[in-house]
Amino acid sequence: MSQNLIDNNDTKILSLDHVGLYYSRRLRFMKSTRYWPLRDVSFDLHAGETLGVIGKNGVGKSTLLRIIAGIIAPNTGKMMVHRPGLRISLISLGAGFVPYLSGRENAILSGMLLGASKKEILSRLDDISAFSELDGFFDQPVNTYSTGMRARLGFSVAYYIDPDVILLDEVLGVGDEVFRNKSTAAMKEQIKSEKTVVLVSHSLPLIREICDRLVWIEDGKTQAQGKVPEVLEAYLMSIASVTKKRD
Amino acid sequence: MRYFFDLVFQNAISGLRAEASRGYLGVLWWVIEPVMYMGIFYIVFAHIFHRSDEKFIMFLLTGLIVWKWFQATINTGSNSLIANAGLMNQVYLPKIVFPLTIIAINTFKFLIVLILFLTFFQFTSISPSMAWAFLPVLILTQLLLIAAVASLFAAIMPFFPDLRVILDNILMMLFFLSGIFFDITKFPMSIQGYLWLNPMATLITMYREILLNGIPPDWLQLFLIMLFSFSILLLAVWLFNHFDRIYPKIIR
Repeated sequence: MSQNLIDNNDTKILSLDHVGLYYSRRLRFMKSTRYWPLRDVSFDLHAGETLGVIGKNGVGKSTLLRIIAGIIAPNTGKMMVHRPGLRISLISLGAGFVPYLSGRENAILSGMLLGASKKEILSRLDDISAFSELDGFFDQPVNTYSTGMRARLGFSVAYYIDPDVILLDEVLGVGDEVFRNKSTAAMKEQIKSEKTVVLVSHSLPLIREICDRLVWIEDGKTQAQGKVPEVLEAYLMSIASVTKKRD
Repeated sequence: MRYFFDLVFQNAISGLRAEASRGYLGVLWWVIEPVMYMGIFYIVFAHIFHRSDEKFIMFLLTGLIVWKWFQATINTGSNSLIANAGLMNQVYLPKIVFPLTIIAINTFKFLIVLILFLTFFQFTSISPSMAWAFLPVLILTQLLLIAAVASLFAAIMPFFPDLRVILDNILMMLFFLSGIFFDITKFPMSIQGYLWLNPMATLITMYREILLNGIPPDWLQLFLIMLFSFSILLLAVWLFNHFDRIYPKIIR
């Protein structure tokens, strides 16, 4: 992704403007405390880019993805979608799987839950079946599946739903070695193409390989954002200083 | 909008299929379960209270079938958001999908039982009348009432989980006050006034008038129930819209 494209406002498809969000914890009757995982997060997402989100465990990265996916609304600030009808999907493997139904039926249901129309999924069902490599198991109930098989089905559905914006929360690398390589390769291919992706990951090699830009979140705030090497360096420096203090 | 109804439909079908493939008897449970339920009441009333005259049995069964549809849907429907906590945190869905799915599933099951029950009239001395043609209107009115009440409770339950126990007991109370075992019209007027405030009591009586006596329903009362249900449904829809992206934060 070239710098001039990033500065171009026309490619902006989504922006977060000083977003903050709290969860309430119920203590006792009519009494609760607020916990703010996100306080002040701002960044833009541009068409076709792969944006990485980094930060320590529990800084609200997953919450952030759920805000972008439109699952929960921020309490302060705004999230704006600049293109109407934009389909944003948080890739959750096996969303809404019903244990007693076959892989086929679950693929239809799960695909619809992820926002595709029934017609779309039916037309891609053969691809989903082939990609998942479940063969005969595709028409067996999913409660007879192993964890890896469930993940394969889930990934295949998510992959073929083909949303405009993909939100990934550490889901690359499911199934056995062979399927992991295949799914990672398939995802990377999508990511490198004109797909818009927001990726939460702790895998630095993966981030270096596929991200165009990085956002670093700490204490509920955007600490830094921009080119991968610079943000990564600042992030690693801060981790190093924390580790030193502990010693 | 099309996507929305497709989704409810697909969800309901999946729920029904999953239910059917759970036990060995599968689909048969949709018949066996209500027969068992009604059988219990038949035994209690016919053999313990010695009320085995045909008229009373049909009177009782009509009330039970209609009540069961209401009670089962409110019970599961009111819990439907909480039951789908995991799903609503993974994908965005308009939350009213959850109670509507439950309503669709239970309505389907009710219709099976109703058809069986209507065929059962063949073996009694009560013969179908022209008034039976009004049955669909009555069913639609009850469907609207059920949709309204189930959605409203589904919408507020996440904020007050303790409501569950209260609701269970309210349903139990209504079960006894809806005139399933007795004829409300035989009560003193002063008490009747209160009992008719419960729309289910009115509906059950109307079902009986149609099925057993061939008398068409009172349109004004039917209209009032529709109006009442519609306002509750509007309130529920408003709540769902207002808290649409807040529910996943509360229920986790």
